[in-house]
Amino acid sequence: MNTTPVSLDKKDLRRCWRAWMMYNLSSMSFERLESFGFCLGMMPAIKKLYSDPKQRIEAMRRHASFYNTEPQIGAIVNGMAVGLEEKKANGEPIDGEAINTLKVGLMGPIAGIGDSMIPGMLIPILLSIGMALAAGGSIIGPLFYIISFNAIMICGSYWLFMKGYRMGSGSVEMLVSSKSTKLREALSLLGVFVMGGVAASYVKLGTGLEFVTKDGVNIHVQQMLDGIFPQLLPLLVVVGVWYFMAKRGLSPVKAMVSLLVLAALGVACGVLG
Amino acid sequence: MWFEATLIGILCYLGALSTPWLLGLTGGWYTITRPLVSGMLVGFILGDVTTGIIIGVAVQAVYIAMVTPGGSMPSDLNFVAFPAIALGILSGKGTDVAVALAATIGIAGTILFNVMMVLNSYWNHRADVSLEKGDERGVYFNSAIGPQITNFLLRFIPTFIAVFFGAQYISAFMDSLPEIIIKTMSVVGGILPAVGIAILLKQIIKSYTLWIYFLVGFICIVFLHLNMVALVIVGALLSLIHYNYKPEPVSASASPTPADDEDEF
Repeated sequence: MNTTPVSLDKKDLRRCWRAWMMYNLSSMSFERLESFGFCLGMMPAIKKLYSDPKQRIEAMRRHASFYNTEPQIGAIVNGMAVGLEEKKANGEPIDGEAINTLKVGLMGPIAGIGDSMIPGMLIPILLSIGMALAAGGSIIGPLFYIISFNAIMICGSYWLFMKGYRMGSGSVEMLVSSKSTKLREALSLLGVFVMGGVAASYVKLGTGLEFVTKDGVNIHVQQMLDGIFPQLLPLLVVVGVWYFMAKRGLSPVKAMVSLLVLAALGVACGVLG
Repeated sequence: MWFEATLIGILCYLGALSTPWLLGLTGGWYTITRPLVSGMLVGFILGDVTTGIIIGVAVQAVYIAMVTPGGSMPSDLNFVAFPAIALGILSGKGTDVAVALAATIGIAGTILFNVMMVLNSYWNHRADVSLEKGDERGVYFNSAIGPQITNFLLRFIPTFIAVFFGAQYISAFMDSLPEIIIKTMSVVGGILPAVGIAILLKQIIKSYTLWIYFLVGFICIVFLHLNMVALVIVGALLSLIHYNYKPEPVSASASPTPADDEDEF
């Protein structure tokens, strides 16, 4: 045990955060996923806190056990783990196993929240704005996405890391409270709303069907549809694909292949195009 | 062309899922591997930023909501973002054909992604061995540097080959395809974004009432001709209303019912 208290300064914490952000997936494999990423993220703290090689190995082993979560929101768990290791190294009665239990207990819920918030909500919303700004090939669209996403994510994950370090396990409260559940619900509403707009703007399908009635009037089906409900066919495609994926369990790849077959049939019959 | 192919190969590696050098996922996978961004970068390298961005936007629509939970991928976005978009630009067959091309390459690319995941088991094993010996540099090498060597080779080589040889042959190859295949590709390219959108909707829509918001969003574009920025603002206001007026106990109803007690926020 250390006799003099060792504490981590701001620089060590920043190093831990950066190591985690960089290496979280760097050695991902099917059976270990982020485990060594977590270990590398703890390394700056472990090096400073434990001078005894045996304790170091034990700490590294503890943090190289199986781990997998959404890395950016998951920075909060790293903050907590760093905080707990610091307390443990200074002689507080914290069981190494308890730190691991905390990690394993949190990784599932945080992966759920993180995956639905970041790739499921924030990125699609920012991308749809970026895509709109990029109309006609304008460079503003990609730049908007690069700047806004990175600013939000870098500041956000750093803040969550520090919050986790300072508040310990209490900080998770923030992510699962009823207020944040409501906030997520409001955001998912925004996500669905924006997706409606994306579907209307980017899914394209038209029919080339034409009829000639008995009186010799040429009816162009697409023109007729455009007069009543433009973009009706794309809407039906989206609802149809959603139905087969959500209710019939069709995988994304199978959905793509099915659309390919349908499109080929449609083109061959001269209905689509 | 070897210079351009090398640059695109390096970018492809930098944007791969497990590359750490651009602050991990944040600056790599989630930034430069988004087709919106990679379209600009690849377009810049190939000397046509405008076409690059236009194709990038079209491809992005397909992959707008690709979530990769637990490392399982329906489509390798990294190969979509770099070699596929480069070929799309070089083929000169327009955006819809580029989208169909990208989707095909993306599905094929998942094989290489899985190869990397399997090869990393070897590096994990070596890291375990170093860890037991207390060799910190070994742990660092075998989990930060070593896996990146395999990752680099698996990203750089296919991209380099695709761009280098694709540049010479893709255009002629596309011209040799029968009209009906090109036409099918362009129809498929037009409807593929529906898959990306459906993936996201499948995730978010837990009750049918949320479809209301989807339809309102759809109609705002089709009939009211709002632009996307205005749409996001309207959507943000609607969700603010929802946040403020939804009664505190979590109920099943998703429609914003006017509650008598305002949230004391």
